[in-house]
Amino acid sequence: MAYVSMGEAHHRITEYLNRFSDAVSYQDGASLKNLLSLSSNSPSLISLADALAVFHDSNRLFKQSDKFSQLSEIADRELTSNGKLPEKLKAAGSFLMKVFGVLAGKGTKRVGALYVTCQLFKIYFKLGTVHLCRSVIRSIETARIFDFEEFPKRDKVTYMYYTGRLEVFNENFPAADNKLSYALKHCNPQSEANIRMILKYLIPVKLSIGILPKDWLLEKYNLVEYKNVVEALKRGDLRLLRHALQEHEDRFLRSGVYLVLEKLELQVYQRLIKKIYIIQKQKDPNKAHQLKLEIIVKALKWLEMDMDLDEVECIVAILIYKNLVKGYFAHKSKVVVLSKQDPFPKLNGKPVNS
Amino acid sequence: MFPKSLRGYVERALARCKDDIQMAASQAVMKEMITKATADGTLYTRDWDVEPLFPLPNADVVKQDSAQTLTPISLLTKLKRSPSRRTKSRWEPIQEEKPAEKPASINHETSKYAGWVNERDRKTLMMNNGSKDNNLTGTRYSSLEHKGANKFTQKPVKRQRLIDSIVAADNGDTSSDSDKEQSLTAYYAGAMALANSPEERKRRESRSKRFEKGQRHGAETNHFKSKSVGSGNLYSRRATAVVLSKNFEDGGSRAVEDFDWDALTVKGTCQEVEKRYLRLTSAPDPATVRPEEVLEKALLMVQNSLKNYLYKCDQLKSIRQDLTVQRIRNHLTVKVYETHARLALEVGDLPEYNQCASQLKSLYAEGIEGCHMEFAAYNLLCVIMHSNNNRDLVSSMSRLSNEAKKDEAVKHALAVRGAVTSGNYVMFFRLYKTAPNLSTCLMDLYVEKMRFKAVSCMSRSYRPTLPVSYVAQVLGFTSNANEGSDEKDSDGLEECVEWLKAHGACFIADNNGEMQLDMKSTSSSLYMPEPEDAVAHGDANLAVNDFLTRTLS
Repeated sequence: MAYVSMGEAHHRITEYLNRFSDAVSYQDGASLKNLLSLSSNSPSLISLADALAVFHDSNRLFKQSDKFSQLSEIADRELTSNGKLPEKLKAAGSFLMKVFGVLAGKGTKRVGALYVTCQLFKIYFKLGTVHLCRSVIRSIETARIFDFEEFPKRDKVTYMYYTGRLEVFNENFPAADNKLSYALKHCNPQSEANIRMILKYLIPVKLSIGILPKDWLLEKYNLVEYKNVVEALKRGDLRLLRHALQEHEDRFLRSGVYLVLEKLELQVYQRLIKKIYIIQKQKDPNKAHQLKLEIIVKALKWLEMDMDLDEVECIVAILIYKNLVKGYFAHKSKVVVLSKQDPFPKLNGKPVNS
Repeated sequence: MFPKSLRGYVERALARCKDDIQMAASQAVMKEMITKATADGTLYTRDWDVEPLFPLPNADVVKQDSAQTLTPISLLTKLKRSPSRRTKSRWEPIQEEKPAEKPASINHETSKYAGWVNERDRKTLMMNNGSKDNNLTGTRYSSLEHKGANKFTQKPVKRQRLIDSIVAADNGDTSSDSDKEQSLTAYYAGAMALANSPEERKRRESRSKRFEKGQRHGAETNHFKSKSVGSGNLYSRRATAVVLSKNFEDGGSRAVEDFDWDALTVKGTCQEVEKRYLRLTSAPDPATVRPEEVLEKALLMVQNSLKNYLYKCDQLKSIRQDLTVQRIRNHLTVKVYETHARLALEVGDLPEYNQCASQLKSLYAEGIEGCHMEFAAYNLLCVIMHSNNNRDLVSSMSRLSNEAKKDEAVKHALAVRGAVTSGNYVMFFRLYKTAPNLSTCLMDLYVEKMRFKAVSCMSRSYRPTLPVSYVAQVLGFTSNANEGSDEKDSDGLEECVEWLKAHGACFIADNNGEMQLDMKSTSSSLYMPEPEDAVAHGDANLAVNDFLTRTLS
């Protein structure tokens, strides 16, 4: 990359912005496209802010704020490759906050507020400063000046998507389910990429409340990393689950769903024990409700999960505690005594309580 | 370490130099000034913002019509300030001096103003930008005009910006618009002014060689960053503020790079191995700062000392101070911080540990050798133990390198993480017993919580009773059936009983006389008692008396 001085860079950006604003004023789509595909050097935020401030029309403002944050991202990438701090995105965030404040005040432009909010979400998520979303959400949801239904549909979908993701991080699965399902329902069926994004977070949520996706869904939207997870849940195969988590560890960590998927372990245990119970019931219906601990240990060993008696006992205790198994454990005899009615309650849309 | 205003002073002094000779001479003069100020303690007390610039050495400059050069200055003063600003300006001292000077030294004066010749262009530019709305056109104008002469280099432009950002920073709350205007116009003016200087290329070269220096300046510029935050509440303002302060940090470290700060770093001469910690209130006296060799001895002394934690902590803090003051960031620094962190962990001094851990993080990031893995494991454990935030946990986990994941200590920490997340108490206490290094100390912080969770879980799932000996074994009070002496076990058992009683568990004796937990009643009577070191304001670590009377190793 050629070394360009700050002055030259600034000069270039100003030029670029001038052309950009001209293109927008004249609704010149073609040249706009050209301009936006140009990758620029560290742009000065101030001049961009100025350029944006000049435009009163909210529509243009939105288009620009979108490109603006993209530009900031490009800028940040350039900055990091130059070894400097990627502060531009953060600055973009603060600038957009300002814009939001402006929009919140004026009457006719209120509808734009949600759009700007979504831009802010995008930035905060990218930066990792997710806690900053809270204040924006509060103003949207509690302030009386906003009526949620007023906003354009696509903004609502985007908004629900991001707030749904926040709920996933906080492990509020029912709320997450609501929001992400809403987003999915109202999402444009043509935009497969968006649906995929929503599903990426919705599937772990659904799994946590006991709803499994069909294979074709995973295949259609290229979410095959969940395939093994679903399979493990169906079979009660702990080894498969752990293997799947390890295989896609990086991806799951990056999207933040790793912990959610890990918690599915308990459901896998439940399935395994249920299977044992079913087999035992077939052999001897009268004694089926008493499950010896060593059988469970044996089953796990067969799955190559080497756990000793104490550990399995602990797992069983946890399962009972969390209501995945109804019954009790008799320590002396090392037997799980299952309830005669519905010993393995289904989740029924409620997550495993912690 | 050096006051921010001093940097500004140096900036201004250097800005008026027309060639390298002048710069070198100015640097020498300033070096003397600063050393003198340090010695007599006025370094921090003098207001460098209003300190008159010393006469330019080698006063051999272009003849200027003094009147002509003077008016731009006054105009400059007026235009740079919006009415709400304070009347005293940076440029005033020079003006005040002027009438006092004898006519014979007119040459001297003009030499001072020689540097301001360029400012005339700045003035013309500013006059064009009548209103702030013209910003865009104004900048356009300037850039168009100077498209040709674009020998812009990063440094000088940033230098000018630096000046302006100092102006902005020091003048507190003014409208962001006028800031924008100022910085933009000054920025262009500066760029124009320095574009054509032939020395720039030379300077550029020497600057690029200073890049490593820039790295070392890292520690120093951090000081400045925090200072610029303080002055004028920059961060409370939006985008402009972020950029301005950032420029200050960036520009500051590079623009004054030519100035040899290294020669001004304190080089300690003290030979005392033992030294109490005293918070610095002014520039340190070299006679009290210990050089590196002595600090190594001091560290050894602390490591071998049998005295209590307070003494060691004090000594280590003073070693750390001496290292910081001399800007030593190397193997020794890492060792000192690691030692301190470990000591803090052993006694449970978490705030101190956190301080050291964050310093270590940045030291490791600079590539200095140390016990990376050990501290990566501690880091992970800290996140697990302390934050309920899943996001933090996930991001710490994702930041572990593949190499780190293979290390034993890190593997252990990851296993603990798994146990805590799933509530697997059996696993947790097993890991507790096999914890490497000082991970035990960190796990200690969670032991109480884990035990309570375990007993709540057990009391709901076990029926009818559970032997206390089993509970004691599973919860880490006693060792496994095969290992451990009987005496230790009976102690542990007693401890367990005490603990259970304190938490409201109900007991029952079975037919053999063995103590059992009555699970059904326990499940309803279990509670988490108030911690015994609870203090009125809630933070046990702040209860100094408590801390002092606690038995120390």
